[in-house]
Amino acid sequence: MVSALKWSKPLLGDVLVILVGLIFVGCLFKSLWHNEQAAKLQIRLGDKIYATYSLDQKRKIDIQGSLGVTRIVIANGKARFASSPCPNQYCVHQGWLSHKGQAAICLPNQVSLELLGAKKPFDSLNY
Amino acid sequence: MRFLVLFFALILSACGKEPLVQTKSYVFGTLVDISIYGETEDKAHEVTSHILQDFQRLHHQYHAWQSDSELSKLNQSFASGKTPVEISPELAQMLGQAQVLSKESQGLFNPAIGSLIGAWGFQRDEFTPVEINDLAIQKLVQSNPQMSDIVIKGNTAFSKNPAVKLDLGGYAKGYALDLALAELQKQGVKNSLVNIGGNIIALGQHGDKPWRVGIQHPRLPKPMATVDLQSGWAIGTSGDYQRYFEQAGKRYCHIIDPRVGYPAQGTQAVTVLIPPNPQAGVLSDVASKPIFLSAPDQRGNAAKAMGVEHYLVVDAEGKVTLSASMNQRVHWLAKPEKITVQ
Repeated sequence: MVSALKWSKPLLGDVLVILVGLIFVGCLFKSLWHNEQAAKLQIRLGDKIYATYSLDQKRKIDIQGSLGVTRIVIANGKARFASSPCPNQYCVHQGWLSHKGQAAICLPNQVSLELLGAKKPFDSLNY
Repeated sequence: MRFLVLFFALILSACGKEPLVQTKSYVFGTLVDISIYGETEDKAHEVTSHILQDFQRLHHQYHAWQSDSELSKLNQSFASGKTPVEISPELAQMLGQAQVLSKESQGLFNPAIGSLIGAWGFQRDEFTPVEINDLAIQKLVQSNPQMSDIVIKGNTAFSKNPAVKLDLGGYAKGYALDLALAELQKQGVKNSLVNIGGNIIALGQHGDKPWRVGIQHPRLPKPMATVDLQSGWAIGTSGDYQRYFEQAGKRYCHIIDPRVGYPAQGTQAVTVLIPPNPQAGVLSDVASKPIFLSAPDQRGNAAKAMGVEHYLVVDAEGKVTLSASMNQRVHWLAKPEKITVQ
């Protein structure tokens, strides 16, 4: 029993397992560890894109879903579900979304929010 | 173990930010946007702040309606007689360059019409409608201020015509672009994009791709096309949609036809693309104006007279006409229904 726990020289397979693990962690780090501010809010209703709004405004948006009206609020570069006709209110409890890639979903009323980044098709604007 | 450390370092370095430093500030009464690629952040900030200081200096020295600027003092002495006064070597060089360009444009680029620009209310920070005084405008046109009235000898200048009042609004931003490019090169920066109020000059490229700029749609709040700017190229647009006022349903833009004294009406926007050249920035600012002011059948000639091959015109109805060489360079984001290639 004790001898089985004794350290031995790592084998090729061990090294590979560690390597794959590190690559995995590295990739997760790279894809998730960003705190880039979002620029736009994309709202989906059912399976369609309902609208895309700039986060650079103060605005209330009411959307008629299958259960009733969901209210979404945009302010200070952030967005959230303000009220929803759904029974459990998970979507409202999600609170403010502010970073690119963040999302909140209201399954009962089939409304979802996703924040998009400011990726522009050009470097600067000629006007 | 050493291998693992190295490996982890590599993975982490891949997470590093793109080496692009972008600074936006406000000079010349407009937005200045400087991007530097491939330098350390410290170096990029140092060079950027140096360039911005240069811009501030140009802005104050050649301000057209602040009475203590070098330009305003020169205007005062032009108005008061024919005594030569001393000017800075830089201003002497700028005026010489502007004289040549004014001649090439057959007077359509005319920075001597400061009084007209003032009469239309465009020598202010805000553009509110003015009472249009047709008689006063007529008189200002008849006084016929021309760049050729200015006599430059060494570092002195005088005007043969007291009506000459310089306003370098259609020139100074381009001059500043050329200055910025020279400064970037002097500081050893390889890749940069400088945008002064929509006039842009490129140096090097953005990573492995050329710098890409969007061309603003003159009537919609979005770009209509993009153009790749290779190193040394500059782009400039004259439009009726940035500085203008509306009165009785009519739009009066800041581009004034020196021949008649009224704002141009037949054009929404003219974009020119200028190949590498020591005065590429100046040309990107200046060369769009004569095309803007020309009648539709004269635009090609106006471009030619300024040595411009790449141009794009959006006329008053929104129809797009562009030169064959420009057509090869633009990538439409919202392609107009009808475009004419000249």
